[in-house]
Amino acid sequence: MTLDGAPALSQAAEEGGSAGDRSVPVKPPPPPPSKRSGLGLLKGLPRRVLSVLSNLPLAITEMFAVAALMALGTIIDQGEAPDYYFQKYPEDNPVFGFFTWRWVLTLGFDRMFSSPVFLGTLALLGASLIACTYTTQIPVVKVAKRWSFLHSEAIRRQEYSDTLPRASLQDLGIILVGAGYEVFLKGPSLYAFKGLAGRFAPIGVHLALLLVMAGGTLSATGSFKGSVTVPQGLNFVIGDVLGPSGFLSTPSESFNTEVHVNRFYMDYYDSGEVSQFYSDLSLFDLNGKEVMRETISVNHPLRYGGITIYQTDWSLSALQVMKDDEGPYNLAMAPLKINGDKKLYGTFLPVGDANSPDVKGISMLARDLQSIVLYDQEGKFAGVRRPNSKLPIDIDGFKIVVIDAIGSTGLDIKTDPGVPIVYAGFGALMLTTCISFLSHSQIWALQDGTTLVIGGKTNRAKGEFPEEMNRLLDQVPEIVESSSSTQSDSFSG
Amino acid sequence: MIFSTLEHILTHISFSIVSIVITTHLITFLVDEIIKLYDSSEKGIIMTFFCITGLLVTRWIYSGHFPLSNLYESLIFLSWSFSLIHIVPYFKKNQNFLSTIIGPSAIFTQGFATSGLLTEIHESTILVPALQSEWLIMHVSMMILGYAALLCGSLLSVALLVIAVRKNRKFFFTSNHLLNLNGSFFFGEIEYMNERSNVLQNTSFFSPKNYYRSQFIQQLDYWSYRVISLGFIFLTIGILSGAVWANEAWGSYWSWDPKETWAFITWIVFSIYLHTRTNIKWKGTNSAIVASIGFLIIWICYFGVNLLGIGLHSYGSFTLTSN
Repeated sequence: MTLDGAPALSQAAEEGGSAGDRSVPVKPPPPPPSKRSGLGLLKGLPRRVLSVLSNLPLAITEMFAVAALMALGTIIDQGEAPDYYFQKYPEDNPVFGFFTWRWVLTLGFDRMFSSPVFLGTLALLGASLIACTYTTQIPVVKVAKRWSFLHSEAIRRQEYSDTLPRASLQDLGIILVGAGYEVFLKGPSLYAFKGLAGRFAPIGVHLALLLVMAGGTLSATGSFKGSVTVPQGLNFVIGDVLGPSGFLSTPSESFNTEVHVNRFYMDYYDSGEVSQFYSDLSLFDLNGKEVMRETISVNHPLRYGGITIYQTDWSLSALQVMKDDEGPYNLAMAPLKINGDKKLYGTFLPVGDANSPDVKGISMLARDLQSIVLYDQEGKFAGVRRPNSKLPIDIDGFKIVVIDAIGSTGLDIKTDPGVPIVYAGFGALMLTTCISFLSHSQIWALQDGTTLVIGGKTNRAKGEFPEEMNRLLDQVPEIVESSSSTQSDSFSG
Repeated sequence: MIFSTLEHILTHISFSIVSIVITTHLITFLVDEIIKLYDSSEKGIIMTFFCITGLLVTRWIYSGHFPLSNLYESLIFLSWSFSLIHIVPYFKKNQNFLSTIIGPSAIFTQGFATSGLLTEIHESTILVPALQSEWLIMHVSMMILGYAALLCGSLLSVALLVIAVRKNRKFFFTSNHLLNLNGSFFFGEIEYMNERSNVLQNTSFFSPKNYYRSQFIQQLDYWSYRVISLGFIFLTIGILSGAVWANEAWGSYWSWDPKETWAFITWIVFSIYLHTRTNIKWKGTNSAIVASIGFLIIWICYFGVNLLGIGLHSYGSFTLTSN
């Protein structure tokens, strides 16, 4: 099909341009010398910029820089007040001899992941990705699709080559088909390949990365977020609690929805630890009609009109108590100690004159909605009551009944237009990364009389390829002259 | 009660088997090549695999959730992944020096997990609400499998560097000796000639010992590349499934949490490794240097961040108490 010149050309271009064996990036043709000055320089600029950006060592340096900046971002405490950095990196005693707070604040390292330095490096990496995909990898598509039959010298020069003295091309072709290769026969020549997707997949990886970056940029500039703590029984309007994140954020119609917390409750393990938080929410539109009612929990958010409501936090809002059958009094609870999910809230029921300076009263502490611990006026432990039991307790002569513990739910609300794009990028990235594990194997063969000359190469699985080839060639039947029938002895190479 | 004793027994059995396997490997390499011992050490690692599987299943049944909720369980899972990685090439009938790397790694992981440093998190505990999700299984298991594969691959690269450096120190000749090996099946010869353009290479004097050493280096290089590629796939899937889970649970698929950031840094370092391999001049020793850096980065990512105990991934945190 093709002449002697063609194999060398396609192979050389393959070596130069393939994603797997790039030794030198494909150089764009230099601008013609007659148009050197002025306009000519400008015309050649995009090409030169492209060739600079698609340089591999530059890309590796950029990746390394991004990694180093991120590492720095985890070491330096983020988001603190400037005073913190004055203390931690003082000028009169600099870390490593030179690193003071000036470095941190001028370069924006206190908000590293939104600082211009970091975002600029990321943008540069993105530009390199685009340039590299355009100049180096898309040509691979054209080149890798081109293939040709080889003559016997070229076949013998392959990485793996072998000769079978008494074998037929057709038998080899059948065996290769059985092993998953796509086989092409023309006259005495054979070409087979497998795993071509593995050569294209790196392009997919780069494109998926670009998609993720685009979606991430949209998320950073176009989303709304906010959080709110709502006691059970109260409402809030979604638009009131959301704040924009960037210049592309535009509010939508569903921002007018009102959310009503019907109930907030928790499930417990037998040991008393919290197993899950639940909020029963109702959504009402502008006309007061209920458009949605759902119970959310951690890991199961509510989605409505592009807005997502997450259950992220909780607190105790108030205790409802009766004192001597008077009340019910709603006592607001204050947080005493918060340690992640372990919280302690307390409240105080004054006894006697509430305005006197050393007022005494009954203290109540609670760790969750399950049980309230009560202390008398001297601060001594008095007892434990569960809110729903309605059992009275006698403290210092007063009959106290704990009617209810009212919790507040902590909700995070978000709208993010970039999420579908980012998810698509994630899916593509996972898929293409898996596919690029495949190795592109190519095999050529030539029937020279009764001898079969075979050669092959592969781009990734270089260690296993010879064994695989040996196993395949072992299966090629040997053609024996006597009785003119093909015996299916296994060939002893 | 039964379950905890069963757990105890299985932990100790797997620990002992791995110690025996390492001893037999040392004997094979240092003293004499005894094939029977080699075979028995292979079977030893398979037995370890089954023991740890039993351990994990026991914990799963006992606690009601997939055994990956704190550092101890993730360490057990890590040693399980190591033994899994060992078994796969064994069944493909490939020659296997991965076991020399895997054995000590598995034992160190197992030993550290069961040592007195971490007793407070040995018990199976309940899952906090944030961890009660189906994504837990996919995300954490992919991450640990990825760590295990990347650790193996980078250890192979470290071994490559050690051998290459020792080889170059011994044969410091500057003669340009061209090799003339015809009709060879093994790709190693061509790589041997390419090696001369490598940074650390000082053109070596041709000798049989040197030749076999180069073959060994090529094998190490190839296996390191394949194992790291596989680990990279797992790491990618792990990071991305973690991001999707974070979006479901906390509303943001990336919040620059220290653990997330360090996982991303690990991903970048290994993608630098994969890119250095595309350039023929940088293959071999240079990419091995990158992979060795990757080894340190993985430990920082896995352990270092947990020592800080901050951020959204604080489930894995622990304090080193001396008991």
